[in-house]
Amino acid sequence: MTSQTIRLTQTVKGAGCAAKLSPGDLDRALCGLDLPVDPNLLVGLDRADDAGVYRVSDDLALVQTIDFFPPMVDDPYSFGQIAAANALSDVYAMGGTPKTAMNIVAFPAKTMDLSVLRLVIEGGLDKMREAGVVLVGGHTVEDSELKYGLSVTGYIHPDRILTKRNLQCGDCLVLTKPIGTGIIATAIKAGLADQGVTERVTAAMATLNRAAAAIMQDFSVHACTDITGFGFLGHLAEMTVDSGYGVRIKAAQVPVYPEALEWAAMGLIPAGAYNNRSFRGSFVEFGAEVSQRMQDLLFDPQTSGGLLIAVAPGDAEQLVHALRTGGVEAAAIVGEVVAGPIDRIIVE
Amino acid sequence: MVNELDCRGLACPAPVLQVRDLLSSEAPDAIVVRVDNDAARQNVSRFLEHQNYQVRFEVQGNEFRVVGTKGEGADAPVESSVPGSVKKLKSGTGKIMILVTSTHMGRGDDALGDMLMFNFLKTLKEMGPELWRVVFVNSGVSFTAEGSEAVPILQELVGNGVQVTACGACLAFFHILDKMKVGEVTNMLEIVTGMKDADSVVTV
Repeated sequence: MTSQTIRLTQTVKGAGCAAKLSPGDLDRALCGLDLPVDPNLLVGLDRADDAGVYRVSDDLALVQTIDFFPPMVDDPYSFGQIAAANALSDVYAMGGTPKTAMNIVAFPAKTMDLSVLRLVIEGGLDKMREAGVVLVGGHTVEDSELKYGLSVTGYIHPDRILTKRNLQCGDCLVLTKPIGTGIIATAIKAGLADQGVTERVTAAMATLNRAAAAIMQDFSVHACTDITGFGFLGHLAEMTVDSGYGVRIKAAQVPVYPEALEWAAMGLIPAGAYNNRSFRGSFVEFGAEVSQRMQDLLFDPQTSGGLLIAVAPGDAEQLVHALRTGGVEAAAIVGEVVAGPIDRIIVE
Repeated sequence: MVNELDCRGLACPAPVLQVRDLLSSEAPDAIVVRVDNDAARQNVSRFLEHQNYQVRFEVQGNEFRVVGTKGEGADAPVESSVPGSVKKLKSGTGKIMILVTSTHMGRGDDALGDMLMFNFLKTLKEMGPELWRVVFVNSGVSFTAEGSEAVPILQELVGNGVQVTACGACLAFFHILDKMKVGEVTNMLEIVTGMKDADSVVTV
């Protein structure tokens, strides 16, 4: 098998973030664990966010995150790029600047040529260079399936941490990338996606959230997360639950890959989407006008998805304009934070 | 003829692909698909519904039997092969599909054509419950996008249960994919199968 002919998605069971352990299972596994306490741990597991934050001094904190998964595209170099962009994204979502990274690799050396591994890591390095991140090391184990990702460390000012949990009433919600990558990865795996859509979505997944994160610094942003394995509504639910407010989403405004809508109707939906729905569906109310396939898409697990930004209503239009002119072309206002019903997401 | 397919032990998208292959080679009136996880059950159900099967399922321990049957009429033989002929329908039971291929109606004067088309869309609801699906292609897709006065008219149709769809490639061609305000994006496969499923297709 050579790197020219191998189709990576045929070698693995799950694809990308769709391979994430279901959120309900994770909650059950972690529930009740005795976690170490440290006053400098500003963001830790007790209120899980995109990344952990540890204060070093009054003006410096470390942002740390790790992310790795099996391939969701067939091309090894693209897979490396996407896995790195996805891991780096957690630092951007906290408002931090990534500085160093370590590779984490599981490789099926018995069945796959080493040239594949080289291409994957080259792809990762390409994104690290773009992000201004230096690779400091890594760890590789032999496994039955290929998996790749990064452990990333970044800097952030302790007073400028953007968590998921600071929605303000009236905030507009801005999403920076289209959704549907989990469904499209399923179609790629099924051999139904043509080259055009595969390339378009691959490029979007490999796009760093760096520009979007830099642009949002100039606006009055209250909360931010990145959309990955729990899907748009899963991550939005993390922002909404216990915020004291509710959220209204305009489904027609949410940027999507139109092909994903078609494939959702055909039942090419990753199991992760159903897991996300059963875990968070109870917080969500769909209007009659929201089609089944759009509902599926809103729960679709994303790989290296966009940022979901809660911004003061007066700044929202300008933020979207700045994002679009800054190369984040899909950016759109998708909804707003409302006084009630509390902890509910209404999609209309 | 009932076909039974055992998709136990398969992860998505394999069950859907197996069902698709079976339907394209044998087109059975009824199909039973055995799966062992809920995602596969829902995906196979969605696919069969998409192919106009009526779907129900049975739970057997940790397994599911998804049963798809062709609805009455869906597999009825086409009455006539004479081009241009339209099957006579009992009122209220037919499915009419409207294919809108441009922004104006007819040839002659385009300004007049624009006005006629707008009036046509406004009056479409008078077809009543037989109006099943309105499909927009080529420049016609602009009726579904931001800035078109037809948007509220089409929204009313959607509210009445009419399916409004617009060709995704056409929306992309005119750079208005992100400006779509009403209806769903469709593709040529769905348009063509829609023509087959409709009892009559009216092209304007």
